[in-house]
Amino acid sequence: MYQYDTLDKEFVADRSAEFREQVARRLAGEITEDQFKPLRLMNGLYLQLHAYMLRVAIPYGSMDSRQLRKLAWIARTYDKGYGHFTTRTNIQFHWIKLRDAPDILDALASVDMHAIQTSGNCIRNTTADPYAGATAEELDDPRVWAEAIRQWSSLHPEFSFLPRKFKIAITASAKDRTAAKVHDIGLMVRRGRDGQLGFEVIVGGGMGRTPYVGPTIREFLPAGRLFSYLEAILRVYNRHGRRDNKYKARIKILVAALGAEEFARQVEAEWEKIGAAGDLPDTELARIRAAFAPRNFETLPPVSAAFETAKASDPAFARFARNNVKAHKKAGYAIVEVSLKAIGETPGDATADQMDVLADLAERYGQDDIRVTHEQNLVLPHVKQDDLPTVYAILAQAGLGSANINLISDIIACPGLDYCALANARAIPIAQDIAEKFRDQDRAEKIGELKIKISGCINACGHHHVGHIGILGVDKKGEEFYQLTLGGSGAEDAAVGQVLGPALPTDRVAEAVDTIVEVYLRERAEGERFLDTFRRTGVAPFKEAVYAAAH
Amino acid sequence: MRALTANRLSDGEVVFWAKDCWVERFADAELFGEADGDAALAAEGHAKAQPTVVVEPYLIDLAESEGLWAPVSYRERIRALGPTNHLHHGKQAEGGKAVEALQHASGAARSAGRVKLIKR
Repeated sequence: MYQYDTLDKEFVADRSAEFREQVARRLAGEITEDQFKPLRLMNGLYLQLHAYMLRVAIPYGSMDSRQLRKLAWIARTYDKGYGHFTTRTNIQFHWIKLRDAPDILDALASVDMHAIQTSGNCIRNTTADPYAGATAEELDDPRVWAEAIRQWSSLHPEFSFLPRKFKIAITASAKDRTAAKVHDIGLMVRRGRDGQLGFEVIVGGGMGRTPYVGPTIREFLPAGRLFSYLEAILRVYNRHGRRDNKYKARIKILVAALGAEEFARQVEAEWEKIGAAGDLPDTELARIRAAFAPRNFETLPPVSAAFETAKASDPAFARFARNNVKAHKKAGYAIVEVSLKAIGETPGDATADQMDVLADLAERYGQDDIRVTHEQNLVLPHVKQDDLPTVYAILAQAGLGSANINLISDIIACPGLDYCALANARAIPIAQDIAEKFRDQDRAEKIGELKIKISGCINACGHHHVGHIGILGVDKKGEEFYQLTLGGSGAEDAAVGQVLGPALPTDRVAEAVDTIVEVYLRERAEGERFLDTFRRTGVAPFKEAVYAAAH
Repeated sequence: MRALTANRLSDGEVVFWAKDCWVERFADAELFGEADGDAALAAEGHAKAQPTVVVEPYLIDLAESEGLWAPVSYRERIRALGPTNHLHHGKQAEGGKAVEALQHASGAARSAGRVKLIKR
């Protein structure tokens, strides 16, 4: 894992000291709220419904136990004992006091963390595959590139005042766990015919008010030319992005307006001008790569007797193994997904005690490595199969043993109207209702992979457009209603969901999801996921069933 | 009926205006009737002149619930109570009749104050 050098440490400490002074000036009335607001937002501090919210960056969703323990300490000391992991793989604290914020930033800085660029019209946290360095599927370790992007984009003067916020995702596996195609830039690591490493570059995907699956503007970009190419894309965006209209300011609107081909032409022309001077020196890349050198894995037999015995004797553990344990590149190891979607709990929330438990597990059994997924779960990427029964037992005791990864209760939900100043409707209680309805784990497994994603407003923080079942909260004359979309996907087969029909009132949503699931179970062919069945049948049978039941 | 609300600058706490000070409980808020329009606007103006005390003050509409007054807008009821996913967080944790009246209120309207803020 990348370790801060002196430069990184000084930069974060300076920023924290600067913010302390800004807060003092605001509290003393030396600067107005209008002057202060952009300054606090640059440090991830929002004013929401009940308190301030601090969004802390977890670069490419990767942290160690020391950092997770500090987040737990912050949750316990300055919040109400919990934190909320987000679809940007960051963490938000929802009950922060302005007067405490400088001390919290100091605490973060003490473990090489901060809240810089978690808000504002700049390059935000890069999403990378949470299985990076652990999956056999990957062509390269995406964290190397994500860390290089972090260093390159942090306080980059040219890209600190973009037309709108800017999000990059990077994956090196065929199975996309980053939603790369619905990012401003999606980078997919590819190998050229000559074995050279490179990227497929996707630009102009996005969600929000106007969802797009991004087009590929370059099939193969040699890896060493990444930064000059990124600079060219951002330069074209900075030049032509719509600063006059917030709702048309994202790069997706520009790419759609120009057409992918013309946008690509302009990028190539700009790229030509920048030349290799805009690229990262090989020495610098090697320095960063060294921080992600492969771990010292033990040589273990591919089958663990302890793991197999526990599976055979404990059905609950066997279920956990089926759903939450994934193949590791090294024999005898496993990737463990820790679900933050216990039935009845808030998706993405972890208590301070749970964070401490995870930090302990990572330290003792997981090579001190913890990841956050954009689906609001956590990952222990390197666990010995021999240790899986123990790890599961400790997780289960801490309320973290839910065996529902990728199943119907593994729901993404934004904070919604329970916390967010922008929301029109609540998202969390809808997720809780649905999870409760599908509490029966046998039924959930029978249904198989089904991704429900819920947003409390059109800004789509809950990724509803790419949910297999997407749910969008809308405000109808002050009442909460929910619009359902079907057939979306944020994975390698990305698609924007189709609207099912008129929005439904709060108390009909879980029931409608149940009806949709029943139609799927009736219609599905052998081996089909919900998404496959939907793509084959179209929306009609689902619509008919939901609205026949509603009237 | 209306009340004046804001978030306190130093900690973000939801507060309501009560004659001459800011209070945390909605039940303690000053209520402005139809005839008190000038007083409501004066209070709002006074609040705006306290930028080191509160942020974004605005008036909210109220409706009757169980013999007490409650914000018409659901958003404002959540602000006055706390999040519905953690019932022991926020002001609702205190319980009592005033909290229950808010929880049982069923009026629906967009928060007038919020619309103003968005326009700005």
